[in-house]
Amino acid sequence: MILKKICAAILIALFAGASFGQQPVKPLRFNGTQIGNAAAAVDRVIAARLAQAGRKANTRASDEIFVRRVYLDAIGRIPSAEEAAAFIESKAPDKRAQLIDQLLLSDGYRSHLFNWLADMIRHKSNIKRSQFHYYERWMKDQIAANRPWDELVYELLTAEGSLAATAQAGYLMRDPGMPLDSLSNTLTIFLGANVSCAQCHDHPFAEWTQKEFYQMAAFFGATDVSDRDPRKVGNKLKDGQISKQDIIAVIAPNLARVETIDEQKLVFPEDYAYSDAKPGTKVKPELVLWERADLQRKAYNVDKKKPEGLRNSFAFWLTHPENPRFATAVANRLWKRAFGLAAIEPIEDLDDLSRTPNPVLIKLLTTIMVKADFDLREYQRVVFNTKAYQAEANVMPPQQDIEKYLFPGPVLRRMTAEQAWDSTLVLVEGPEVDRYLLDRSKRVTQYRLPADSLDDEVVFAAAQKMKAHGKSKNRNRLTAVDYAGDAPNSSEGYTLARASELRQPEQESHFLRVFGQSSRDLADDGSREGNIPQTLVLMNGDIQKLISSTKARVIREASAQRTDKSQVASLYESFFSRPPTRTESARIEQAMKDGMNLSDLAWVLFNTPEFLFVQ
Amino acid sequence: MKNHDLSRRRFVEHCAHSIFGLSVLPTLGTAAAATRKPGFGKAKNIIFLQLKGGMSHIDTFDPKTGSSKGPADAIKTTADFQVTSFLPQTAKIADHISVIRSMTAKVGVHGPAQYFMRTGFNQRNTIKHPNLGAWAEHYLGSSHATLPSSACINDGPRHGNGFFAPSFSPIPIFNPETGLQNTAVRGGTNQLKNKLQLSQDLSAGFIQRFPDDNVKAYREFYDHTLRLLRSEDLQAFDLSQEKKKTREAYGESKFGQGCLLARRLVEAGIRYIEVTSEGWDMHNNLEADMEEIAPPFDQAYAALITDLEQRGLLESTLVVLATEFGRKPEYSGNGRGHYPICFSTALAGGGVKRGFVYGSSDSKGAQPNDPVTVMDFHATIGWAAGIPLEKPAYTAAGRPMHIGGGKATPVMNLFA
Repeated sequence: MILKKICAAILIALFAGASFGQQPVKPLRFNGTQIGNAAAAVDRVIAARLAQAGRKANTRASDEIFVRRVYLDAIGRIPSAEEAAAFIESKAPDKRAQLIDQLLLSDGYRSHLFNWLADMIRHKSNIKRSQFHYYERWMKDQIAANRPWDELVYELLTAEGSLAATAQAGYLMRDPGMPLDSLSNTLTIFLGANVSCAQCHDHPFAEWTQKEFYQMAAFFGATDVSDRDPRKVGNKLKDGQISKQDIIAVIAPNLARVETIDEQKLVFPEDYAYSDAKPGTKVKPELVLWERADLQRKAYNVDKKKPEGLRNSFAFWLTHPENPRFATAVANRLWKRAFGLAAIEPIEDLDDLSRTPNPVLIKLLTTIMVKADFDLREYQRVVFNTKAYQAEANVMPPQQDIEKYLFPGPVLRRMTAEQAWDSTLVLVEGPEVDRYLLDRSKRVTQYRLPADSLDDEVVFAAAQKMKAHGKSKNRNRLTAVDYAGDAPNSSEGYTLARASELRQPEQESHFLRVFGQSSRDLADDGSREGNIPQTLVLMNGDIQKLISSTKARVIREASAQRTDKSQVASLYESFFSRPPTRTESARIEQAMKDGMNLSDLAWVLFNTPEFLFVQ
Repeated sequence: MKNHDLSRRRFVEHCAHSIFGLSVLPTLGTAAAATRKPGFGKAKNIIFLQLKGGMSHIDTFDPKTGSSKGPADAIKTTADFQVTSFLPQTAKIADHISVIRSMTAKVGVHGPAQYFMRTGFNQRNTIKHPNLGAWAEHYLGSSHATLPSSACINDGPRHGNGFFAPSFSPIPIFNPETGLQNTAVRGGTNQLKNKLQLSQDLSAGFIQRFPDDNVKAYREFYDHTLRLLRSEDLQAFDLSQEKKKTREAYGESKFGQGCLLARRLVEAGIRYIEVTSEGWDMHNNLEADMEEIAPPFDQAYAALITDLEQRGLLESTLVVLATEFGRKPEYSGNGRGHYPICFSTALAGGGVKRGFVYGSSDSKGAQPNDPVTVMDFHATIGWAAGIPLEKPAYTAAGRPMHIGGGKATPVMNLFA
């Protein structure tokens, strides 16, 4: 297992020098029949449970609905009118399966999966004085290379070195000096273990005790995650030519590092209130069990003694196919991403797997994830190929019933902030926006210094080098040099690149944040709820200027049509991937006669729920 | 694995006992009795001024002589206490405010300390804590039919809803001069009406097909927004409605105009308004920095108190002056470092005593007497707002939470 991971790490390292897009895209692993069989198995489990409740699956969604939905769920944006038409007009009997494969192999897939990951792991471009660009680049590379989930997570947990030298160190560097918070997040996002309370006291509903939490934390007790303050060095070395900020920019990612030390140092806290351990005594690392029988699982066969091996032991256990929750957690998350609801809600609490109305379903999804060797792309192929996914949508059940949903089809949901932004770009610029790639990793890696030679002279020389390179003064503003290959256009104060290729997260006044992009302070914190600032943006924001501009793709395509009727049809195909109904067309044509122009109509369609919701 | 079987109710009691140091849960009886004590619920509105960077207490509200003394001398005020000569306008309204000279905290790093001062909780990577506006909205309901109950001026919402619903998030006004973003209707309201009508007609089929709560909510947001755009409420965000004289009284600064906007929003019915001021981090050249930063602050703060008083709003509006920490007592003519152990804040209006000083610092301004923690400070504001402090709010995970963390007690001596 570990060997497999190490080999893969070497392979990835070999490719790390290559630029985006040039990486060999791994071909799909399973053939259509294999995928179809797995999807059919899922459908049988759902149908059986529905039948038990005296219900039936929803009818198959139309091609128009399907194409918009699968573009949004697989690559995070709506299809252009052209893309939608190509699919709808195709006569191929397996055109849905074909489209799914095509999307999962496209650039948009990387962008969309990155957003998912970034929200989960709270990725920020900058934290304190360190830039996380190299880490960001690394994650995008892993997704583009379709790195299996277990390998990726293993690397995040076992990374060693500075932010400048080891991209993966960014994961643990997210919580420097906060090992307990870090562990709590790790267990929650990767295992759905509801441990946040156990950090401070025995969990009252869930099963975890504070002692168990500390025993788990002890696996990180021989890990030093420090972000030594670069300002001292900055103050010391600044002179007439090199400012404190210059020095800090160079030294910060070199000082921020994850290091294994030779002693497990975690002790029980001074206010430890239970009789099962003494405050101040050293904690013995121990892996948590969900049930007694878990001990028999191979995941538990790890060394817990050697301090230098503790983190690897933990990562081995966490990412093992026989970990009681690892495969389930990611399978459940990706299911939710496609269906709008998880097989078990909430995704953060998988302690009791029998809580779901369909325990067979989550078991099967877990099996598929393991059988696919944690290949997220293959797993999503299965999900998107189910009849359940391809059926008509239901409305979101009320809060008290969401844990009881039986999946006769997906549920209607508002686009994520990222989907809304990326879809808007399709209307303004076209699907070509998928190709822009933000890559600021050089800002970090160019000034990578060996850990043992961070002496003043070396640091100063690096800062001079950076200065000579003409580091952009406003490091927050994105410019053409920050993009690998072509740079995106800018208009109305917006850089017209996909959400994944902008600052992480965007500034608070940006469209993305107003629509609920996570501040990345907490895991899984993106929001789909509406508010007044959003409707103000939709009605009067600069984004409206972009959409209704005569330069916008959607307007250009419509105005190329001769008749009012065909112009309306063009708008509808761009916004909703479908032609207008007769009533809709007549209503709009009347409005056009009354003086509304194409820009007005773009405004109107942008302000309908059909645009913002995924059916 | 542990297998105990606590019900949610017992859990609450268990936590109340073991974590919050209470022996029994308060009953309705005691809560009712509490409301009869001074100050409770008098602050219908709260303006929370946050001076980011760490205002030096010794150079503002807690003047010292001797080795700690900064560049400015102490001056007399209209109350029985002194301030420094950096605050001549504040000195004139000192008889309207209460100064707390014994604030104490542990965190001396800007980001976490600002978070702590704004929420009353230490910053964590696993939970976000609400600002006082969200707490108030949770316990007291929304303060206005169409407008949000909280606003933040000169800064973003910064997760002000905490663990409450996103709708409790403050509405951001990044620039007081331009007011609420995206309210300028292009093409006039008549055209807007036509376009919205068309959009509504075209949405009818979708809405019928999906009787979904969230879809419905969006419809309602459009209604609210339209009402807002048409209504006089919007004028609340428009500083150009103010007399030139009033605008000048607050000063041209972003903070000054922000304070004026805050007063307008109070009048419009927004319960909780944060206004931030930047630039108080004075490490190297304190005298020059204070000469630059203090006058616009001083002018705006005094103008706000005076204006509220003249409009009869001060008794129902609590003006909180907060900063994340103080600055070090040692002064040798340059600057001062961060100092959380002892610093000053001020409260005015909302049932708070006038011309009063609570607590004190030692002769150097280094150690507080009668210390007030940031948690207590929050409990005091919550108390004034009429929030039942002993009643927990629950996070989505079922965790009970209290303003100031449950151990906090309001400083009753501050209330008249």
